[in-house]
Amino acid sequence: MTKEQRLQKRYASEKRFKSYGIISICLALTFVALLVFKVLSEGSSAFVKTSIQLELNFDHKLLNTSKQPTKEEIEDIDFYDFTLQHILKVFPTSNRDEEKQLIKLFTSDFEFEVKKYFKANSDILNKVITLNITASSDLDQLHKGNYQRDIPENRRKISNFQLKIYDQLLEKKKINKVFNNYFFTNGDSRNPEIAGIGGSMLGSFFSILVCLIISFPIALLAAVYLEEFAPKNKFTDFIEININNLAAVPSIVFGLLGLGILLNVFELPRSTSLVGGITLALMTLPRIIIPCRASLKAVPPSIREAALAVGASKVQSVIHHVVPLAMPGTLSGTIIGLAQALGETAPLLLIGMVAFVVQVPGSPLDPSASLPVQVFLWSESAERGFVEKTSATIMVLLGFLIIMNSIAVYARQKFEKKWI
Amino acid sequence: MTKDTHIVKSYGEELQFLNDSIIQMGSLTESLLADSMNAITILDKEAVDRIVQSDKKINEYRAKIDTQIMTLLVKRAPMAIDLRITITALRISQDLERIGDLAKGNAKKMLPLPQNLSADLLKSLKRLGALVESQLNKSIDAYINKSKEIAVEIIKLDSNVNELTYLSIKEILSFLSKDTKNLEYATNLLFVAKNLERAGDHINRIAENIYYLVEGDYYKKK
Amino acid sequence: MDLMTDTKIKISANHLNVFYGQKQALFDISLDINQNEVTALIGPSGCGKSTFIRCINRMNDVIDICRVEGEIKIDEKNIYEPGIDIVSLREKVGMVFQKPNPFPKSIYDNVCYGPKIHGIAESKDDLDAIVENSLKKAALWNEVKDRLQEPGTSLSGGQQQRLCIARAISVNPEVILMDEPCSALDPVATAKIEELIDELKQSFTIVIVTHSMSQAVRVSQKTGFFHLGKLIEVGTTEKIFKNPTNNMTQDYITGRFG
Repeated sequence: MTKEQRLQKRYASEKRFKSYGIISICLALTFVALLVFKVLSEGSSAFVKTSIQLELNFDHKLLNTSKQPTKEEIEDIDFYDFTLQHILKVFPTSNRDEEKQLIKLFTSDFEFEVKKYFKANSDILNKVITLNITASSDLDQLHKGNYQRDIPENRRKISNFQLKIYDQLLEKKKINKVFNNYFFTNGDSRNPEIAGIGGSMLGSFFSILVCLIISFPIALLAAVYLEEFAPKNKFTDFIEININNLAAVPSIVFGLLGLGILLNVFELPRSTSLVGGITLALMTLPRIIIPCRASLKAVPPSIREAALAVGASKVQSVIHHVVPLAMPGTLSGTIIGLAQALGETAPLLLIGMVAFVVQVPGSPLDPSASLPVQVFLWSESAERGFVEKTSATIMVLLGFLIIMNSIAVYARQKFEKKWI
Repeated sequence: MTKDTHIVKSYGEELQFLNDSIIQMGSLTESLLADSMNAITILDKEAVDRIVQSDKKINEYRAKIDTQIMTLLVKRAPMAIDLRITITALRISQDLERIGDLAKGNAKKMLPLPQNLSADLLKSLKRLGALVESQLNKSIDAYINKSKEIAVEIIKLDSNVNELTYLSIKEILSFLSKDTKNLEYATNLLFVAKNLERAGDHINRIAENIYYLVEGDYYKKK
Repeated sequence: MDLMTDTKIKISANHLNVFYGQKQALFDISLDINQNEVTALIGPSGCGKSTFIRCINRMNDVIDICRVEGEIKIDEKNIYEPGIDIVSLREKVGMVFQKPNPFPKSIYDNVCYGPKIHGIAESKDDLDAIVENSLKKAALWNEVKDRLQEPGTSLSGGQQQRLCIARAISVNPEVILMDEPCSALDPVATAKIEELIDELKQSFTIVIVTHSMSQAVRVSQKTGFFHLGKLIEVGTTEKIFKNPTNNMTQDYITGRFG
């Protein structure tokens, strides 16, 4: 083969190699795009909810209370009855069955919405106010176009009567889509329209917080000791192998550990973020130790020698010089480890963070679910209204992961600028 | 004394070139000196022509050696024995050139021998010339063999050179006092004697330098 | 034995043997270092001169398999006695390395680190004074006085090395060890450091390891020639480089082997 031909061959193979790379990237980007597209398209509708405009006359006589009611008297008001009166006025009918269907168009929580509004705005007594009452999940899904109208009634969740009311309300422009604040503020519920991730978000937040507080200091100290101070012998080699292996252990095993020891032996409260956090911490420890050690190893020995030569003790040289230089890598590893922990479902299932928890937790000692567990629970539910909520929760999860990774990148850049 | 080869071969070759140049310059100076003595004593006209050529060559060698030494100093920053080799080469070449100049000067003072010259007149002068020639020969030997023993011999014989010079001057002066006709000739002979003494001094310095080269220390007269 | 009666011996190594595991690196080294003088250690690669110099401030302790037998006395006190405080030793004996290694901190923090951890300064003003003094002695003050908060690594190679020297001086040592301090620097930076060494020897005792023969001649008053872990010859720099006694020494410095 002549020199020319060899040269051409080399150029051709370089081009081929480059194109393989580009194809791989395109494939990967395609998959990511597909995932994002699916999640976005299914989930974005969960951020709005359908509401029905209802006119309410807050006449104190209708409320069955005095002209200037006290706090106790307000508590005694039967908002269910009060609101029901006004609902039935929307489409008066004599048929009991039809009345029920009409009521079913509204959320089952309607009295609480009115009560909340009344308590928040005390000056509305004896006035006529138009409120947006959340629609029921079925109406919500119908309005969002997820229910087919042209199938026989017995196969529909919306009856013909309900459809009639719906169309009329639509004409009167009394059906609106508003921002679904319940999604972020409420805990789980059997009713999709008022179900939210508020509980699981806080549950995740507390779990990650507990995880961080426990795992970061322990991992940092362990890594520093193993890398800088521990003698190099078979025993420390053994420890290192085990740490590396622990990082690859399936996370459900840690769930078993949590179940067996934390719940059974220490009798910590079940389903709480505290237990979840501790379990996640055990899982995250090796995932922080490994990058931390790698960063410590990467600090050049010349820095250590310089510190020792100026009269620093071993501990001083490590704390003042080596650890700060290893911080960028350690922080990156920590945040990535935490992001992984955020998305963990299996261990949390085992320690009970899968319970149906309605109340939003106030502390790590309250029972709660976590975001990925919430996805799991809702994905199993039969209700149509939960489908969009599942995808929306995934979007929120992904959003948090992006934020956390961005913080990792930013923190790394900031530290690198400062120290190096 | 020490290993002969440097890691950088060209360094060793440069030092070797210096060594060989000094030896060749020394040989030329030797023949120049011999020729100049012949010119004085037997009035050999051809010797005079040879002398002029030799002197030119000696000056060329001097220039070459100078250049080589400058290059060595700049390039190699020689240490210890290499430094001594370089410096002594510089000094010896200077001394050799001066000896050559003195010998040439002597030859140029040659005049037709006057008649009725006493054979005794040039007796001491001839002995002086022979001694100086042998000193020079020895010094080149000492340099070739890097022998401090031979160098010490030369240094010790330097006093003989001075004595013979004194004798020669006495003879020439006594001739002068009797025969005033050949005044110019006799005066020139005085200069010849003095020049030979100075040549002897230079050879003495060469010997001292060779001693320094070998010992690393200057010769101390006990 | 010293040639001049008024030179005090600052450091004295006696029958020093150093082992790395089974391999012996230094054989029976006995060498005196004089106070307020620059002593140069020369020799081919791997001859043990760096090992020797690192014994003086016990930096070899960092290497697990390194074992030292014999003694090194500084001011008549053996630094290998059990119970010696290594931190105090390293406050007394400073070191400058081959590749400049300033801390990745500001210039000010580089120089004030030593005084801080040894508790030398009593107030911020004290610390400022020490930093200024050290940088002045290291001939760096004028170039950096307006940018003390900039990172040490933003300086040029020669300036970084002078910063490392300032850092070593800041704790007021008595001895400064230099392990090939100029080998990573350009000729101008090298010349500045050599000038600095000349001034520094008035206040400190300096031991310098160097590969450059001409540098050893220029800066030192005493020279030791090492080869394969043994001290072959030691003497005044003039003697060693003009007329060494040992043939091996002469062969090394004239470039006949290495």
